[in-house]
This record gives sequence, C-alpha cells and structure tokens, in this order.
Amino acid sequence: MADVAEIRHRIKSIEDTHQITKAMELISVAKMRKAMLKHQYSAAYFDTVRYTLKDIMRHSTDIRNKYLMHRPDTRTAYIVIAGDKGLAGAFNSNVLNLAWEHMQKRPVHYVVTIGQMARAFFESKKQQVDLEFTHAVTNPTLHDARGIMRDILELYDRNLMDEVYLVFTRMYSTVKHDPQMVKLLPIEEKDIQAEVKTTYSGEIYYDPSPKEVLNVLVPQYLTGMIYSALIHSSASEHASRMLAMSNANKNADKMLEALNLDYNRLRQGAITTELLDLSSGRFSQS
Amino acid sequence: MNKFFLEIITPEKTFFRGEVESVNIPSIGGSCTILAGHQPMVFATEPGSLLITADGVTREAFMSEGFVEVRPDETVAFSEAVEWPEDINERRAAEARERAEEQLRRNRSAAEYRLNRAALQRAFARLRVKNHNHME
Repeated sequence: MADVAEIRHRIKSIEDTHQITKAMELISVAKMRKAMLKHQYSAAYFDTVRYTLKDIMRHSTDIRNKYLMHRPDTRTAYIVIAGDKGLAGAFNSNVLNLAWEHMQKRPVHYVVTIGQMARAFFESKKQQVDLEFTHAVTNPTLHDARGIMRDILELYDRNLMDEVYLVFTRMYSTVKHDPQMVKLLPIEEKDIQAEVKTTYSGEIYYDPSPKEVLNVLVPQYLTGMIYSALIHSSASEHASRMLAMSNANKNADKMLEALNLDYNRLRQGAITTELLDLSSGRFSQS
Repeated sequence: MNKFFLEIITPEKTFFRGEVESVNIPSIGGSCTILAGHQPMVFATEPGSLLITADGVTREAFMSEGFVEVRPDETVAFSEAVEWPEDINERRAAEARERAEEQLRRNRSAAEYRLNRAALQRAFARLRVKNHNHME
C-alpha cells in the first residue's frame, strides 16, 4: 500500500494537470467560436463568388481559361492543412492519413504543408515537403489565403503540376468534423459546391464578357476556398481539442475522486493506529 | 428618382446596405452608372472609385477588384476591399505605390508584372479617393 505522502503528491500533480486541461478547454471553446464567427462573415461573400462562377461555367461552355482546362492527371499537388500543435485527439492524424493514403496512388506528387504537425508527419514518413506555409494555421487571415493562392497559381502556371488537391478537416458541428479532400485546380463545374438561387431565371449578361468576369472570379474563388479550408481546419482543431480536453477533465475528476478516497482511508488508518498506540501506552503506564 | 436596393459586401463585413438612386462602378470596360431598373448583369471591376448616390448625396469610396451583380430585386457589389475615404490609410497607400513602382521597374516576369500593375492601380485609386473627398 502506498504511503500518505506519495498519494498526496499524486493528487497534487493530477490537480495541476487538471487545471491546465481545464484552461485549454476554455480557450478552445473561445477560439472555436471566434473562428466560426469569422467564417460566417466571409461565407456570404464567397458563396456568391462560387455561385457566379458556376453560373458562368454552365451557360458559356466555350470559354477557354487555363485554370479550367484539364491536363493529363499524373502530377498531383496536395495542400495539406493540419494544426500547429498536438493534444487535439485524432484531429491531426485523421487528416494526415487521408492525404497520405491518396498520395500512394499517384506516381508523381508534390506536398505543400500548412501547419507544423503536417510537416513533421511527412518528414517522419520520409516524404519530401516541397513547400511549406507557417503562421497560417493559428489565426487564418484573408491575407494568408491570398498569399497561398498566389504561390500555388504561380507553380501551376509554370506547368509543374496537373491537379491541385486541398486536404483539410471540415467542421460540421462541434462534435462532428471529418477530413475531406477537394479538388482546387483545374476548376470543374461539378466540384463547385453552390446551391442555385432561383431569384432570377433569365439569362444574365456579363460585362465586358464572361471571360473577363471569369478572370476576376477565378483568383477570388481560389482565395475563398483556401480561406474557408483554413478556417474550417482551425475551428475543427479547436473543437477536437475541446473534446479531448473535456475527456481529460472527466478522467482527472475520476482519478482525483479515487485518490482522495484512498488518501482519506490511509489518513484515517494512520490516525487510528496512532490513537491505539497512544492509548495502549497510557494503559500500560497506569 | 426611382430607387433600388444596393448591397456592398466584402469578405470581412457588409460595407453598405440601403436604398440608393444610382451607383457608379469602376467596371473593366470603363466606369458605369447603374440606375433603378437596369438589365440583370454581372460586371467585373478593377480597382477604382465607387460613387454612391443616396437621397441626393453622393459619396465616393474606394473599391478593389471584384464584381457587381445586378439582379432584378437588388444590386450586390462584391469586392475584397471597399473603404470610405476616412478609412483609407494614406501613408500605407503611398508606400504601396512606391513599392509597386519599384517592383515594376524590375519587371521580372509577365505574371509579376500583372500583380504589380494591379497593386499600383489599387494604390493610385486609394490615393485618388482619399484626396477627392466627395462630401458635398
């Protein structure tokens, strides 16, 4: 049986950990809310970008744009978004494994990582990381998304890759978030998720031409996709961390309860023996 | 004068919502004025100034690249950045102009040239809107 001092020490250390996990849970809740709020603001904007792009693609099929043209799909680039830190349950490994599995089927692939956990994962798998973005995970901004979009487009323009996939974690609700893979380039009509609003059913004219409008829309579409992926990923990370931490809290509470019981029993036992010792000493004296 | 509903949306916020008489947009094909009852259309815009006339008062704002959708029920303008003159940071815009000019002189590739030209266009448009101060 452990002695009183040892149990007291364990209780203390569990209490300390408990305090940390409790703080982390609260922080994750706040950060998740903030990310969701940010997403709400931009959603209206990028939904319309997607919708308009889809509308143009549906009505004017003869448009030639280098980002819409299909290339032979042998060289694939993956943009993998994971977190900067661990301690978030299976969040990082889920999304990274999805990317990893898909990669094995492609003869030539490039890896672009966003987030330190993603880079560490591919390094441990001996997979070369071709491009890396830091600072975009903890607090994603439009500026980050624009920068990433620009760099990817430049590589695509130099004909280094045929397709670009975005691998990230989509957040459905606080308890449901699944890793997902979406094709970023070339843009295909079927890949664009936008519900068709039927406020106006007639043909819409584009000024100066559908092609010019498309040229403006494509970079914005890509920025929007990357931005929303970054935000979804960050919200999912915080949600998973929140769940992981709330489990940790529950475990800590359970352990503390058991340990406190043990501690009290031992302490009471010690007091009883001491009293017995005292009283028996007293009796033998008199 | 007939009025129509105008909404100006950026990724960060809804910049403007309300009934207006006319709006002048920096379309790629040249500046364009939209009045009530306009044919449904989508305009692509380049960085420039946006003139909003509501209740007889015209205000100027800076509008970055984007597009304007004219629907039968309302007109919605989308842009990555729309700013009132008082919100424009003049020093930043001037710095951006110098940076873009410097980069343009170096002129490395066609893609870079386009990027820098757009940056220069934005900087010029911001400075123009800031110094006009349409508040009559």
